[in-house]
Amino acid sequence: MENGTGAELNPQSRSGGFPAGQVFLSGVAGLTLAAFINSSALLTDAERLPDSRSRSLSVAIWTPIEAAASTLRLTWPRTVGDSLLGRSGDEGHITLRREHIEAVSEPQSEEWLVLSVEEEQGPELHLDQGATDTSESIWDPGNPFTIWVLGDSMVQFFGETFVMMAEKSPSVSATAEPKLASGLSRPDYFDWPARISEVMTTYDPDAVILMFGGNDAQNIRADDGRWLDRFSEQWEEEYRRRIALVMDLAASEPERIVLWVGQPPMRGVGFDLRMNQLNDLYRAEADERQGVHYLDLRSLFTDESGNYARYLLDSSGQLVDVRLTDGVHLSHWGGEWLSEFLLKEIKKSPEVEELWNE
Amino acid sequence: MFCSSLFFYGWWNWRFVFLLLWAIASNWLAGTQIDKHLQLGNKDSAKNWMRTAIVADLALLGVFKYYDFFAVELSNLLGSGTAIPLLELTLPVGISFFTFQAMSYVIDMHRKLIKPMPVLDFAVYLSFFPQLVAGPIVRASEMAPQISQRPDPRQVASGEAFQLILRGLFKKVVISSWLASTIVDDVFANPEGHSSQEVLLGVYGYAIQIYADFSGYTDIAIGVALLLGFRFPTNFDRPYSALSLREFWKRWHITLSSWLRDYLYIPLGGNRGEKADTYRNLLITMILGGLWHGSTWNFVIWGAIHGVALAVERLLPKSQIHPVLRWIATFHIVCFAWIFFRAESFSSAIQVLKAIIIASGPTDLSNALLILVLAAMLLAQFIPDSRSEDLKRWLNRRGILTQGLAFGIGLVLIDMFGPDGVAPFIYFQF
Repeated sequence: MENGTGAELNPQSRSGGFPAGQVFLSGVAGLTLAAFINSSALLTDAERLPDSRSRSLSVAIWTPIEAAASTLRLTWPRTVGDSLLGRSGDEGHITLRREHIEAVSEPQSEEWLVLSVEEEQGPELHLDQGATDTSESIWDPGNPFTIWVLGDSMVQFFGETFVMMAEKSPSVSATAEPKLASGLSRPDYFDWPARISEVMTTYDPDAVILMFGGNDAQNIRADDGRWLDRFSEQWEEEYRRRIALVMDLAASEPERIVLWVGQPPMRGVGFDLRMNQLNDLYRAEADERQGVHYLDLRSLFTDESGNYARYLLDSSGQLVDVRLTDGVHLSHWGGEWLSEFLLKEIKKSPEVEELWNE
Repeated sequence: MFCSSLFFYGWWNWRFVFLLLWAIASNWLAGTQIDKHLQLGNKDSAKNWMRTAIVADLALLGVFKYYDFFAVELSNLLGSGTAIPLLELTLPVGISFFTFQAMSYVIDMHRKLIKPMPVLDFAVYLSFFPQLVAGPIVRASEMAPQISQRPDPRQVASGEAFQLILRGLFKKVVISSWLASTIVDDVFANPEGHSSQEVLLGVYGYAIQIYADFSGYTDIAIGVALLLGFRFPTNFDRPYSALSLREFWKRWHITLSSWLRDYLYIPLGGNRGEKADTYRNLLITMILGGLWHGSTWNFVIWGAIHGVALAVERLLPKSQIHPVLRWIATFHIVCFAWIFFRAESFSSAIQVLKAIIIASGPTDLSNALLILVLAAMLLAQFIPDSRSEDLKRWLNRRGILTQGLAFGIGLVLIDMFGPDGVAPFIYFQF
């Protein structure tokens, strides 16, 4: 390689720079070194891509490189670095089946006593002092009504606004937990069932708001490793099973308010169509459950013709931009609209509504 | 180079390649006509060509960037609801940058500062991919000689280029993204949910984040251009070391501030008239500079704050104020203005300001590492240029293979220290 970049032997060129060919080769050498050291992370990234030709190609490229790098022990600097930074490549097993939930929900310390989803029917028992007994209907600042908002990047854009509006009552504690680029299609990237199970058992919220779908219109991998084509019959069956799992986890407490937020209209025609297909699945699963309420956002974010619109009239007749320029996410004002809409739904219980009337 | 740049731009959205081609063709034609008429002594025709080109460039910006903003404001003012049709167009990436470059070309041509460029050279100048999407705003007078003379492939400043690319990536991937996810996004999304201390740290954090983000992009752009044999002008020069707003604008986004100075502030009269005229010119320039960033009232307010502060600063006896106090005042006025730049709306900005004074929420986002990073980034602003020159010289003295391998290891370290997901560059939206 040194012969290929012969400027090592050519000190006179160092004062003003090196020939372009040598710079190119040295850049390639540097990038190759980086690719080998980083090959595990790059292979993981490739595997996280949606099922497509580019994913297959990326995986085909990075698999032998990662194997060669591991054999040559070139991956250890990155592994050691990640360990020192407290980042482990081991993300645990994926929670795709109900029987996995119990394992995922195992107590992290002796302080927790947790029941599996299939066993739990009554209120969960927590040994910590701050635990909420949902059989009590009185909330106060010391024992607040807790709301969790979980989902993908859509939550990123309205979650904190919702938290701010909800916490106008001192007896309400809200938490927004978005995970960008996540969803139910790719638990290998982020395992929402595991996280939701953890939240339910650890925090036992009084209300849960879930919003998924933006990243889910992609092929998904079945338990047996087969890729299921997007919106095929088998795909729908598997995706509905995942929706059902998440809904059951969230609605494991009969008293808990569970709101499943549908996707708003999207600017892109094809994307909008796909989101509508997903909305139909969410609605169908929610309809099968008494404890889960599906919220349709289409009427909230469409113009008079029922189409996507970036600008809509607010209650005072003023035009406001409710969507971001990407034609997907909600703007600040859109986030406020949605938050108001969600709070209105939560307040449907008179007991809960009182919280904001204090 | 031209084809590569078009491919780069078209990768994002191929339809907007035609917009870029239109900007290239119309401004090149106007430039050629301006020069021709000037040669013939026909100054009026030359001026008309310049005006036509500027109007066409501003029309591009107007349609894509400002039409909906003004239509909505007018609709709300008239109370006519949706009576004024909205375009709801996607904003082409980099439109603010390449239209400003195009306008500088025709204006400089009219001022006889430059000669017409061959059409392919001009096309390369306007579409040059390293600076196409987020600057720096390079003048034709700076690029034309470099394009016409062709870069020397025997002398590529690889050490400097690798160092700049790594520095830019570090600022963007590690510093900017970390600050955004650690405190800034949370604080600006829900200022009332945090303590005064946290909100203040969030504001300081945004000041550092936007500097790291934008100057990081500029470093990468300059580094990539260097690898191709082109040298861009400096765009940032330790702006938070400034002891006055005037100095700040000589150090922050230098290519934009000098553009506004040369093509707006001076033509408006600059500081040649009465004091009141100077203050008016400052205010107009800064408000339009704010509007350049985006079509929202918050950007207008951001520009107005800088305009008013620049005017007030001229009234003060600087020599009687201790430099430390001047630095504190300058930095905090800049941070105050950043609140409006970052907040989603005017009311959100006011919430942030209120929260700095009265919020009493938790302080779990505030920690020693955050304070250390903020302090280190601020202190780095005071490191003299000679220190970074030393680093550049050290890298330049290394062999080319060592440089390449150091570059590779640097990339791994940046990826390792960076967060899982990295947000797009802030200035891509402008």
